[in-house]
Amino acid sequence: MRWPLTRESLPATRAGAGTMFPSNDEVIAGRAVDWEDRVIPGPAGAPDLEVTIFRPRDRGDRALPAIYNIHGGGMIVGHRSWETGRVVDIVDELGVIGVTVEYRLAPEDPFPAGVEDCYAGFVWLAENAPSIGVDPDRIVVMGGSAGGGLSAAVALMARDRRGPRMAGQGLLCPMLDNTNTTISSLQYDGVGTWQREANLLAWECVLGDRLAVSADAPEYAAPARATDLSGLPSAYIEVGAAEMFRDEDVEYATRIWATGGQAELHVWAGGAHGFDMYMPEAGISRAAIAARLSWLRRTLGA
Amino acid sequence: MSAASDPVPYDPELVDGLQAFLDLVEIVPLRADTIQVNRDHFATIIPSMAVQAEGRAVTWEERVIPGPGGAPDVEVTIVRPVAASASAPGVLSIHGGGMVLGTRYFATGELIELAERFGAVGVAVEYRLAPEHPAPAQAEDCYAALVWMADHAHELGIDASRIIVSGASAGGGLSAAVALMARDRGGPRLAGQLLNAPMLDDRNETTSARQYDGIGAWDRNNNDTAWDAVLGADRFTDAASPYAAPARAADLSGLPPAFIEVGAAETFRDEAVAYATRIWATGGQAELHVWSGGYHGFSGSSPEAEVSRAANAARDSWLRRIIGSRE
Repeated sequence: MRWPLTRESLPATRAGAGTMFPSNDEVIAGRAVDWEDRVIPGPAGAPDLEVTIFRPRDRGDRALPAIYNIHGGGMIVGHRSWETGRVVDIVDELGVIGVTVEYRLAPEDPFPAGVEDCYAGFVWLAENAPSIGVDPDRIVVMGGSAGGGLSAAVALMARDRRGPRMAGQGLLCPMLDNTNTTISSLQYDGVGTWQREANLLAWECVLGDRLAVSADAPEYAAPARATDLSGLPSAYIEVGAAEMFRDEDVEYATRIWATGGQAELHVWAGGAHGFDMYMPEAGISRAAIAARLSWLRRTLGA
Repeated sequence: MSAASDPVPYDPELVDGLQAFLDLVEIVPLRADTIQVNRDHFATIIPSMAVQAEGRAVTWEERVIPGPGGAPDVEVTIVRPVAASASAPGVLSIHGGGMVLGTRYFATGELIELAERFGAVGVAVEYRLAPEHPAPAQAEDCYAALVWMADHAHELGIDASRIIVSGASAGGGLSAAVALMARDRGGPRLAGQLLNAPMLDDRNETTSARQYDGIGAWDRNNNDTAWDAVLGADRFTDAASPYAAPARAADLSGLPPAFIEVGAAETFRDEAVAYATRIWATGGQAELHVWSGGYHGFSGSSPEAEVSRAANAARDSWLRRIIGSRE
């Protein structure tokens, strides 16, 4: 990320990032994974959405589990190609189908544009599961950082709207709490890979100045605002011990358990925000990825 | 505190293992008048050291070491890898059993594993049990063993800069207590504290304690009995020693790196999460794992389940980072 991240630097950051990330074929690097881009209907009255579907090759006619991945970037930067590496690794390792979604970013498209796009993509995947070889009972919605927060929001929406069944929600260092009042949000002010200043900017872009850090913010923007966390799909919540989102993520898991809901929580010693992406060879990164794959196996039967 | 919600459900793959554990271990609910019955039962299910060590790449030795000041000597079992090195990591292993049950041979299985897989030299300590010996006799005995280990590191072939304290359940709580004592007394410098489903808080009032009231392994009622035995009239008061109930410690700064693991479906879930959260708030290092649908002791009692394998792998990862590996 380019520091400091400001409203003025957002366009340049986005443009620069476009060339930072390799193509799908480069990421796949000869592994037995095929991909295709699709355009699917967006939310009512909104533009269509681009998705990319990654499939393990030669898996026969049996319907496969799927992961639906929502990328990070504070809801203000990023592209679905940012997390192709994570998705392809899982597709290749577990033999599941991966779908990545391109959602609208703030501030050009503030809340609820992005999260409604993500929800529309999930509904499309579930409703069209048979035609793309997916078992609709075995879909996990997952993402990192803003993508983790959006995944939590899509799970809330699916519950509240009686939408498609979700087998699990994979929340990797999720961005959940717009108030920025936890101890960890203050400990990582000016240090780390996603800093307090960038987080405040992101919430302002998504929610506008009035609601940016308000306890009245809508829960589909900031899932920590949800008053009821019961009846949600099984959650996987992973975060570094040394990052802003630590305390809000632990709190979210604790509140799910208090309702009798299922959640698995991992807080990795000394982990910076996104440690598995930035430091993939570190001991904690390898251990975190192994734990994540274990949860996906348990949740997807993969 | 509102009424308890439904409990977090168990992982389907753990249900049979939980039942088997209950049928083997918790056949008599632990109450003030069943402590001795439970001790007698435990004595029948803990294998002897000879049986535990048979065919394993370890040697073992019984020793009697000095106890805390004015207290009796303490028995320990030392477990060493067959292929010993001059400076092995050291592990002080503290057994579980609510501080009212069990023997050090509950903790030697872990030491055999760590000797084989990490080349560790381990010490399992026989601490005095409550209610005959109220707190903090348990932690004082454990701490005496740590001091002895550190003082005899050279003789034991231990690298004094790589000593950790480790335990499950009551042993996890006592491991946390030993870490507090070492800090407060300027004692041996620990490389880490491994707290597996630790028993930390005598108040027994968290949401998870209320969720597992009458169900599961080491439910709220068993826990209640144990804390009454350990703390007596001090329980629920500010006189409760943090060396019995580390959740009572006012200051969690300056502690060695902690590894805290617990099941999502057990009494100790919330107190374990709170302990990690308080360590982080001081700027201390802690790794926390709360395993989906895990009952108390699931990873040891249901080792073949996928979630147990993941839990054991995560613990191994931390051990590699903290005390290194010969693998």
